[in-house]
Amino acid sequence: MEGDSKPVPVVDAQSEGFWRATAEGRLAVQRCQDCGHFSHPPTTICNACHSVPPSLEFEPVSGRGTIGSWTVMRQAFLPGFAADLPFVLARVKVVEQEDVALIGRLVDGPTAAIELGAAVEVVFESLPGGAAVPAFRLVGARS
Amino acid sequence: MSGRFTGRNEVAIVGYAQSPIERHSRLTLGALTIETCLQAIADAGLQPEQIDGFTTGSILPAAGGHGSVDGVDIVTANWVAETLGTHARWLCGFQGYGQLPGSVILATEAILAGSADYVLLHRALSNPRRGYHQNPMTSAAGGAQWVAPQGFWGAPSGIAFSYNEYLQRSDATRDDMADVVVGLRANGAEIPWSYWHGQPITVEDYMSARMIADPVCILDCDIPIDGAAAFVLTSAERAADLPNAPVYVSGFAQGNPTAASLGMAWSLDDVREGSARTAEMLWEHTGLTRDDIDHPQLYDGFSPFIWYWLEALGYCGPGEAAQFLRDDSSKRLDILHSGGALGNGRMHGVPQMLECYLQLSGRAGPRQLDGKRVGLACHSSANFGGVVVYSAERF
Ligand SMILES: [Zn+2]
Repeated sequence: MEGDSKPVPVVDAQSEGFWRATAEGRLAVQRCQDCGHFSHPPTTICNACHSVPPSLEFEPVSGRGTIGSWTVMRQAFLPGFAADLPFVLARVKVVEQEDVALIGRLVDGPTAAIELGAAVEVVFESLPGGAAVPAFRLVGARS
Repeated sequence: MSGRFTGRNEVAIVGYAQSPIERHSRLTLGALTIETCLQAIADAGLQPEQIDGFTTGSILPAAGGHGSVDGVDIVTANWVAETLGTHARWLCGFQGYGQLPGSVILATEAILAGSADYVLLHRALSNPRRGYHQNPMTSAAGGAQWVAPQGFWGAPSGIAFSYNEYLQRSDATRDDMADVVVGLRANGAEIPWSYWHGQPITVEDYMSARMIADPVCILDCDIPIDGAAAFVLTSAERAADLPNAPVYVSGFAQGNPTAASLGMAWSLDDVREGSARTAEMLWEHTGLTRDDIDHPQLYDGFSPFIWYWLEALGYCGPGEAAQFLRDDSSKRLDILHSGGALGNGRMHGVPQMLECYLQLSGRAGPRQLDGKRVGLACHSSANFGGVVVYSAERF
């Protein structure tokens, strides 16, 4: 029923490689094969070298990162998340390239001791239909 | 290559109107806007048929997937021109954020180029009845797929990231922010057209307000409203023949996008780097320095923007905005005097621009401050929006 379920990603030409990987439990980030620059969200032309024709492929990354910042969500702007309140969202900088960030839930929850720079690793939350959304968990020792 | 503005003080604001700011107007947004535009034209001493240029920035409210019917949910420049039925030589809407500085820039350049003699600039904001950021989407396409399946939606949640990072990396606290918001509401309470007229708040009200996305509470966010404002701009030469004291456009700057953004979940470093560039361009464009500005009106649609702008404009160093305000016990800058978005309602940069216009033209009535000659009106965050400098004199 509209409004009661969580949004599922609509796969498109730019995002197909990302969501195919997550469905298989892997994190992959779009990378320019000419200069090695990672981009997220995926782009249609490399922001670093602008090579044409673009040579952009999804490459596996470690799934490790650090917390750039976080918030505890207390209002569900998306009704499908109302039952999950309060929950933590983190902006995670991936270790492969610091300016590549993903937003994901921090599964440790709002009572966890969270700090800037804390190390996290990716986990996956399943959605109906076989899709999976990346989330993160604290790995303990600060990086 | 110089970044200096060759049209400095060649274009002026010559009239204005501001509608009442209400949760839900008795009028449709289109009717409210036309009423306000006609008042602004009359205020400038002009007739509607003399207006030959129209501009606005009409985006938002769209975050919640609301309708965007022209004349109902939004009001474009084209809609105003069509409805007034005047002969427009120049019609141009601004696309992007920092909508108000963006449309002031368009209007100024059109007048400088001779594309229009008298430009009507309006801003119309509506309050969707379903909740501004509320969105019942069950599938997330395009940019939304990178945030919504993860549970991230709404500008307040985005701002929470850079604001939390600010608190974590400095000695600033939510108690400091309470003083900012209480100050804005105190000033807004004095403004007759404000939604919050006669409704100041206390620090206790702020600290007990409902949390939205930590550390953002409901009182850190401007309240969605129905409202319209309009300004008339023309050349300095033509302005001399009109009834009101002109307020000149001295220069401006716009934020450039930084890295690919996930909603508004900027890193604090991205905010600072982008903001510093905006300020650098502003000083180069105007030929002024911070010390020349005696009425800076900082944007506050989300309260942390006040801190970001203080840093951007060089009033304090990184992380020192809260301390700066604590030390500024005389409130010599009057930075909150407009009441801002938090003290007026979600008018998107209008309170700051209107405050500059009213103070510099000497039309602020009981709210008039002494000795204000050069104002600065910000909109949105400094890394993202824009800023215009206004002057009471041509220099
Ligand atoms: Zn490249």
